[in-house]
Amino acid sequence: MAKIEVKVPDIGDFKDVPIIEILVKPGDSVTVEQPLLTLESDKATLEVPAPSAGVVASIVAKVGDKVSMGTLLLTLEAEAGAPVAAAPPAPKAEAAPPPAAPAGPAIAVARDVAPDPAKPAAARASTMAVDFSGVFAGPAARRLARELDIDLTTLQGTGDKGRITVADIKIAARGGGGGAGLPEVPTVDFAKFGPIETVPLSRIKRISGPRLHASWVNIPHVTHSDDADITELEAFRKSLDDAAKADKTAPYRVSLLPLLMKASVATLKAFPAFNSALSPAKDALIYRHYWHIGVAVDTPDGLVVAVVKDVDKKGVVELARELGALSAKARDGKLAPTEMQGATFTISSLGGIGGTAFTPIVNAPEVAILGVVRSRMAPVWDGKAFQPRLMLPLCLSYDHRVIDGAAAARFVRRLCDTATDMRLVLL
Amino acid sequence: MAGEIRLPDIGDFKDVPIIEIHVKPGQSVAKEDVLMTLESDKATVEVPAPEAGIIGEIKVKVGDKVSQGALLATWASGGAANAPAPAGQPAAAPVTTPAAPAAAPRPAAEPTTRADFECDVLVLGAGPGGYSAAFRAADLGVSVVLVDRMPTLGGVCLNVGCIPSKALLHAAKVIDEAAEMSEHGLVFAPPKIELDALRNWKERVVKRLTTGLTGLARQRKVTVLTGEGAFTSPHTLAVRAPEGDRAVRFNCAIIAAGSEPAAPSFIPRDSRIWDSTAALELRSIPKRLLVLGGGVIGLEMATVYSALGSKITVIEMMDQLMPGADRDIVAPFAKRVEKRYEKVLLETKVTWVEALAGSVKVAWEGKAGSGEDVFDAMLVSVGRRPNGGAIGAEAAGVAVDGRGFIVVDRQMRTNVSHIFAIGDIVGQPMLAHKAAHEGRVAAEAASGHKSSFDAKAIPAVAYTDPEVAWVGVTETEAKAKGLAYGKAVFPWAASGRSLSLGRDEGLTKTLWDEASGRLIGCGIVGPNAGDLISEAALAIEMGCDAEDIGLTIHPHPTLSETFAMSAEAFAGTLIDLYMPKKKG
Repeated sequence: MAKIEVKVPDIGDFKDVPIIEILVKPGDSVTVEQPLLTLESDKATLEVPAPSAGVVASIVAKVGDKVSMGTLLLTLEAEAGAPVAAAPPAPKAEAAPPPAAPAGPAIAVARDVAPDPAKPAAARASTMAVDFSGVFAGPAARRLARELDIDLTTLQGTGDKGRITVADIKIAARGGGGGAGLPEVPTVDFAKFGPIETVPLSRIKRISGPRLHASWVNIPHVTHSDDADITELEAFRKSLDDAAKADKTAPYRVSLLPLLMKASVATLKAFPAFNSALSPAKDALIYRHYWHIGVAVDTPDGLVVAVVKDVDKKGVVELARELGALSAKARDGKLAPTEMQGATFTISSLGGIGGTAFTPIVNAPEVAILGVVRSRMAPVWDGKAFQPRLMLPLCLSYDHRVIDGAAAARFVRRLCDTATDMRLVLL
Repeated sequence: MAGEIRLPDIGDFKDVPIIEIHVKPGQSVAKEDVLMTLESDKATVEVPAPEAGIIGEIKVKVGDKVSQGALLATWASGGAANAPAPAGQPAAAPVTTPAAPAAAPRPAAEPTTRADFECDVLVLGAGPGGYSAAFRAADLGVSVVLVDRMPTLGGVCLNVGCIPSKALLHAAKVIDEAAEMSEHGLVFAPPKIELDALRNWKERVVKRLTTGLTGLARQRKVTVLTGEGAFTSPHTLAVRAPEGDRAVRFNCAIIAAGSEPAAPSFIPRDSRIWDSTAALELRSIPKRLLVLGGGVIGLEMATVYSALGSKITVIEMMDQLMPGADRDIVAPFAKRVEKRYEKVLLETKVTWVEALAGSVKVAWEGKAGSGEDVFDAMLVSVGRRPNGGAIGAEAAGVAVDGRGFIVVDRQMRTNVSHIFAIGDIVGQPMLAHKAAHEGRVAAEAASGHKSSFDAKAIPAVAYTDPEVAWVGVTETEAKAKGLAYGKAVFPWAASGRSLSLGRDEGLTKTLWDEASGRLIGCGIVGPNAGDLISEAALAIEMGCDAEDIGLTIHPHPTLSETFAMSAEAFAGTLIDLYMPKKKG
């Protein structure tokens, strides 16, 4: 019977990603592709699937372990005939009150738990099993963290050189947030005013929330708006879309998005600062000589940004097909981490829904994001008369530390001009 | 009820965590004195005493979440209110005996006879680990029974270990230093050694400390029982003593039963063949003493007997003295004793020992060939064996491994969740200060606190001459683990304080994590190394880097400066020596 070692697959540019859940236990039979454990990076959660059907022989990893590509997680006995019954699970005796238990102050411990030779009894307790030896925190801080059940290995210290202070731990104990000493929003007992229901945030929201918050508080945002005349572009899109729908082998759709992506890349090439990132020390710009465009996708669980690589090297048809595939994956929650990394500029399009303008939040460490709302037919003065033109409002939020208002105005105007006359893309 | 202190109306808050408790049981408070601090997401709230009085029991702990009306503490009111209720537990439900897997013994059924003592926490063993656990548990407000086979508290450390050996080492130091000054213009006559008086002094030191411990136990109302303790079930222990057995029933237990000297079986029993306990009895000063085992204990006793006039031979199986410490840190010590002792044989095994009429005859085999010789006495110090096999652990269901160790987790919990184990019996290093720290953790965990053994480093000290001390990662370990580390060594030949003590062989070596620049290990050899190592331990725990240490002003001239200078050597800012920069 073949033993298969299950290791962390290629999860993109992630290292030391914590395991947040182990979904199987030794002796479980699993089918191929069945999720075995869940990893959670700061960007996404990822399930590690079974490479083949079989029985879980042993689990090497434990919740809280930080793993990277190639880390051994567990071993499977590959299925070959009858599934093997692994070692019987450790028996669990029911707690029975001991005869004539002593009177007097009871002490807070479990009594009469079945001995488990494999491991000391308390290893089951939550953060008690976590090793703090590599953590940059003094003994008193480590002790407080134990008392408050805070996992120091996941905490970022605000002290000198990143030291985790007692104050950091107290803030984390209150549920984090307000880390920069921001005043907290007051809590309200809503039930006092009417019936309520509390539903936990989806995992995507729990992950994206702090990142959006970080962008919001760290980046001085300015949003610049302009209107693009897309009358001709829309006619062109329609003809592409009709052809796409009629595609015999694999019909697809062409939205405005791939065209705006091409227009954006052409404009980004003319204004390279908009494709840059601020260095960590904030004293240099890092120009990226590639054009990967992030596209905000609305999924049932929340906002996800899928990344289309090398947009400059792809045609509109190819982009349209790729976008269709990525959006479908995103909605099914199946985007790989590599498909959510590496964007240099992001487009958030609400055009399918409506709106006249909005202020998107820059997807840090990018320095600009394009918000797109619904185009509308508007009377445009051509010097002699009002003409009915299809106008598309574009809203560019940018990091004012990197981009000045005048540059933003020029960028957006150039983008509008390009959308109006896509021949500019060829230049 | 008037005897209770409850959380008053503090506004629209619920489940507010307690972040600090300012009072202790037995403390008297005035009206409006702050008892505790709560911290909601909106504000910090202090809970004042509703009236003046003496605090009885604290019913909450830091981290608990409380709401209006929660019971925080009680007033101590004459004690009548605390009388235990009669045993009114429901009749015994049948105890389901789990089909225990191989390693965990099947626990014995609980005896039905009445226990002579009942307690929340039973501590087995009154060494530094055991008494620390017992006293900490008592301070946390639980009832404690402390059992030890010796009539005096303190275990091996106080009675036949650390403390008496330090007294004798002090005597040795006085002799050696007086002799050494004769070369520098201060000539003393050779000392007259009155063995009985010296032994009495050592015993008075021990007695003073153990008496102090007895007083501390009494003040804390810890019940001390003398006798051999052995578990009879997961909740009972029998204390066997000549005057009769007593039964203790407990809710939680902390096993602190320690270790005892180990000896190879081929060594005969003879009054001239000593273990460390016998060596400390100062029965005689042998002319020629063989020390079998070049670890810390053997070398400390060699230091004592050498000063008292014995000619010393040391036989060690490993390739260096004090295995476990870095070779470069041991080297100055080794160099000194090689000159003073008759022989130091490394990578050598004793193959045969025979007690003759006037001597002990010993044969050995080793790297430098085989040989045999006769000695007036022999000290066997080849290590210590944990006492896991001698405490009836199987009756409690506690798993003990083949060597007698008990496996515990970070909270010092054994495989039986209400039984903890600490100190020598849970593994290396077998050191009193490790046991004492573990004892506190176990006492806190047993009392329901979320406490865990989180120390980054455990210092080790050999009180030889010169002293050798180390803490954190050793260089041998760093190399074995492939750690990316940096190193700096400050030689004491450049320390004015060391030279003025007439010594120049010392070294202070520091090891640093390459990535973070933080101190990860330190080794010191030289007079008082054992006291100097504490600063390195603190620096490791606090995560200090070389700048933190180098920029801390150390008094001049002291030996403690050598630690700062080693840090400066690593940082490249040392001016007391010329050390050309190695790189960039």
